[in-house]
Amino acid sequence: MKINTENLKEDMNTVSKIERREFLKIGFLITGVFAGGTVLSLASNIRGAFASTGEFTEKYPYKPHYSMLIRQNLCVDCERCIEACTKTNEVPSYGYRTIILEKVVPDAIGQKREFIPVLCNQCNNPPCVRVCPTRASYKDKNNGIVMIERKKCIGCKACVLACPYNARYFNEEVHAIDKCDFCFDTRLSKGEKLTGCAAACPTGARKFGDISDPNDFVYQMIHQIEKQVWVMRPEAGTKPNVFYMKA
Amino acid sequence: MDKKNIFLFLIILSISCLAGPLMLSASDEVSHGGDIIYDKPVKAVLFSHKVHAEDLGMGCDSCHDGIFQMASLTVQKEADFTMEGLSKGKYCGACHDGSMAFDSDSQCARCHIGVKGYDRAQGIKSGE
Ligand code: HEC
Ligand code: HEC
Ligand code: HEC
Repeated sequence: MKINTENLKEDMNTVSKIERREFLKIGFLITGVFAGGTVLSLASNIRGAFASTGEFTEKYPYKPHYSMLIRQNLCVDCERCIEACTKTNEVPSYGYRTIILEKVVPDAIGQKREFIPVLCNQCNNPPCVRVCPTRASYKDKNNGIVMIERKKCIGCKACVLACPYNARYFNEEVHAIDKCDFCFDTRLSKGEKLTGCAAACPTGARKFGDISDPNDFVYQMIHQIEKQVWVMRPEAGTKPNVFYMKA
Repeated sequence: MDKKNIFLFLIILSISCLAGPLMLSASDEVSHGGDIIYDKPVKAVLFSHKVHAEDLGMGCDSCHDGIFQMASLTVQKEADFTMEGLSKGKYCGACHDGSMAFDSDSQCARCHIGVKGYDRAQGIKSGE
């Protein structure tokens, strides 16, 4: 399933009651359709959903619970993130681990374009893992990153089709599906604190952190009560760990 | 004025009458510097002469009397041709300060056209 600014269009009716309830459970209140109608907006509703923030943080199943916050309006499509990612993770020229979508709004007053970074959402409920016949795709039990065990991958591409974020491609060099792993292999496991893309971003559009840690910047940004936060394709029920907001 | 001088005066007058329209049409073709696309420090920012000089009707010397040279990409060599420089009122920031024109600290993708906009302008088809 290709992701682009056309097929991102959704309306509230596509979100089932169950999905709404699920979102409420993780602390978000569905507030309306994001300007332009592309993605649902969700407002942080920790107070509404939980008695205390302590109870709320327990809802994050991983430790650390890695997450990325995209402050969408700060993205200028300089693509230093893509450059850094490609270099760090040896992404071949035909492949990608992250892309920047361009949304053009010709009749908008003022700014007529918007750039939207997209990467693997490291879903808590990942369709790619569910469809993998060999368990090559799996969810890391500790940090929640969706990983691929390359030697188990048979290249059937079931996961490529299942992913609503178009985050996977077949890497001919390694004969396996490749995708973003929040730079776990190349950086996090070696003690780096940030993904390659977040470290390279000159505008702060990409913020990486631990959404279960109240001292973390990402935690603090996402849990501001009055701020609108949204995820991509909430109707897919994937429970993404990539969040979007305007700075 | 003697006859010789009157003659000279008439010649000059007729030359300028003939040359006037010629010069006008010549300057019509290059009435300003067109689109300028910056690719450093980041790809890419678009400056449009059409928007500023034609649509907004700004005079050439509102920019070419100290802020910018009449030679494209000269300013890109300056170390402070950055967002910080702009916010200190330099270059585009002389006007894009939130009062004369929208603030350089807002509407990022109004000035920034990105790698995608840059490639389109160069006629490169993006691989995506
Ligand atoms: C709002 C500011 C602004 C105004 C008004 C403006 N210019 Fe410019 N002009 C620029 C900038 C910025 C550059 C590029 C300078 C640089 O990159 O160092 C430039 C460059 C040029 C160039 C060089 C283009 C090239 O390809 O080398 C010419 C010629 C020029 N301007 C002519 C004009 C004329 C004639 C007018 C009036 C009709 C005008 N400009 C009005 C900002 C302006
Ligand atoms: C002499 C003043 C001045 C300078 C210098 C100047 N601008 Fe502007 N610019 C304006 C004004 C005035 C407007 C229109 C007011 C507004 O939209 O807020 C404008 C509008 C724009 C727009 C909006 C165009 C549109 O169609 O939406 C862009 C983009 C822009 N400027 C980019 C730049 C860039 C990039 C530079 C520096 C290379 C620059 N400007 C330098 C005065 C200036
Ligand atoms: C008025 C036009 C304008 C606006 C608005 C604008 N920029 Fe810029 N920006 C520029 C220019 C001009 C440069 C220097 C040329 C280049 O890098 O291509 C630049 C350079 C940059 C750079 C590289 C240099 C540096 O300062 O690190 C970054 C990063 C950047 N802009 C981010 C942003 C962000 C984020 C926003 C919104 C908050 C923004 N810009 C809004 C005109 C603008």
